[in-house]
Amino acid sequence: MSFALEAEGLTKTYGAVRALDDLSLKIPAGGVFGVLGPNGAGKSTLFRIAMGLVRPSSGVARLSGAPAGHASSLRRVGAMIETPRYPPYLTARDALKMLALESGARDVDIDGWLDRVGLTHAADRKTSTFSVGMKQRLGLAAVFFTRPSLAILDEPTSGMDPAGIQEIRELIRRLAAEEGVTIILASHQLDEVRRVCDRVAILSKGKLVAEGPVETLTGQKPALRLVAAPVAQVLELLGDQGRADGPDAVLATIERHEAPALIRALVGAGVDIHEARWREADLESAYLDILQAKEPADAR
Amino acid sequence: MLADAFAAERFRLLRDRGALFWGVVFAPAAGLVLSIGGELFARRLMKGAPVIPVDLVGRMVKALAGGASPITGLFVLILAAAVLAGDYRWETWRLLTPRNGRANLLLAKLATAGVAVAASLLLYALLAAVGGLFSAATSGSPFTAYHGEALSDLAGAFAISWLQLMVLVALAAVVGVVTRSTMGALVVGLVFAFAQSIVASQLREPTWKALAIPAFSGDLLKTALLMPHSVTDDPVPWAAALAVLLAWAIGLSAAALALFQRQDLTRE
Repeated sequence: MSFALEAEGLTKTYGAVRALDDLSLKIPAGGVFGVLGPNGAGKSTLFRIAMGLVRPSSGVARLSGAPAGHASSLRRVGAMIETPRYPPYLTARDALKMLALESGARDVDIDGWLDRVGLTHAADRKTSTFSVGMKQRLGLAAVFFTRPSLAILDEPTSGMDPAGIQEIRELIRRLAAEEGVTIILASHQLDEVRRVCDRVAILSKGKLVAEGPVETLTGQKPALRLVAAPVAQVLELLGDQGRADGPDAVLATIERHEAPALIRALVGAGVDIHEARWREADLESAYLDILQAKEPADAR
Repeated sequence: MLADAFAAERFRLLRDRGALFWGVVFAPAAGLVLSIGGELFARRLMKGAPVIPVDLVGRMVKALAGGASPITGLFVLILAAAVLAGDYRWETWRLLTPRNGRANLLLAKLATAGVAVAASLLLYALLAAVGGLFSAATSGSPFTAYHGEALSDLAGAFAISWLQLMVLVALAAVVGVVTRSTMGALVVGLVFAFAQSIVASQLREPTWKALAIPAFSGDLLKTALLMPHSVTDDPVPWAAALAVLLAWAIGLSAAALALFQRQDLTRE
């Protein structure tokens, strides 16, 4: 298995503060990987070490097998560390052109990328006049326009309104699918992580406290909640895949693609279906449980 | 690659109109305005004074030789601070560092500042010639030939002033990296420029201590080049003076590079 990012015994101290504490983590290549944790958990420090902005106090970090921060490892990586900032005198188009020159990318379709992130109308506006959301979108274009194999996105929706968050989330999902890039995403938006990420790592006080697929961490798979009558008949049809959820509802633990066939079967069997809705895995509860379980352990 | 970083820095500076105006254009343009204004004023005060022939090359050499004064140093420092420490101010290192090597990024900035300083000096010379043409056109002064080796004097004055200004640029690089501040780079550079100029003006003999001051070495080289008969009969230690200027510029650049490569960019 190849890894997009590997950390082995990674420690970073700033004076008395230990931002990363002997962190070991392997993030597999492919898909979207979420890094969660409260403020000060070490997410940004991990990314800054990966991108060569900060040197570790001890331990090793590797990007796609090459030493992190080294020019050879950064060539195929795009990163947006915290809210992107740009020299205020540059327009959006100039900012991308400057970054393309810096990367040695000669054949970048700058206008095409501005269009993809919805900034064509602001291409010739100075970035100093941009809203946070516009800066984030320009930052995403700057991450993806050199066609990296790995993209590191640190809080890509921080400081944005709900509509902006939704927009950026869709954009990330679309770019990940269209460009086939491994994405490592840090976010406080647990709903965003649950919707976008395949696997998740949770950091606390610079240490890894949990890691795995979202479903494993939440302890439950997404389930189809059916309000139907008679419930007993639905439960009988579902067998092990069904369980009652109140007097008139059933939770069907099935894959998404199985839903249409199940509904057809239930209707064919004479069941009245009043409502069918997916209940997503509750990452927020799992996240808080994991962190709370970690706190007493630390206190001891 | 260094060439990529240099192309990006050049592109960026050309878009930074504030830094370009103050760092490259303002001082030569102000010099031209003051020269023309002063000449018109003097002509009005001294009506009937004899017409002085205009030496275009002489004016250009003088402008180039004076291009490393502390006042012009101030404007070069504005440019150097913007180019070398701007990414701390704008917190944009995190945008650049993952795209190119740190050494390339800083060397490209030094090279870009060097090109801008050269452009500013050339503008000084060009506008000094424009001032001479204005003077000749408005006063009817005849032109006169330059008494000296025009090409070597022009090139020599340009090279020495450029090297003196590059010492300030390299100092701005070190201070910019250490303080992570454009203002720090500007203020420390300015204090250094004025202090060395004042100290150098008090010294006469080219001792090692005196030569160690870049302003003294630069002025000594220019005097030896442009007024070879005005200096003492003793041979001028031009090689030592040149070595001092080079050592300052290269040493400070190397220090900036070493510090930057080891620096944690935690906020920027």
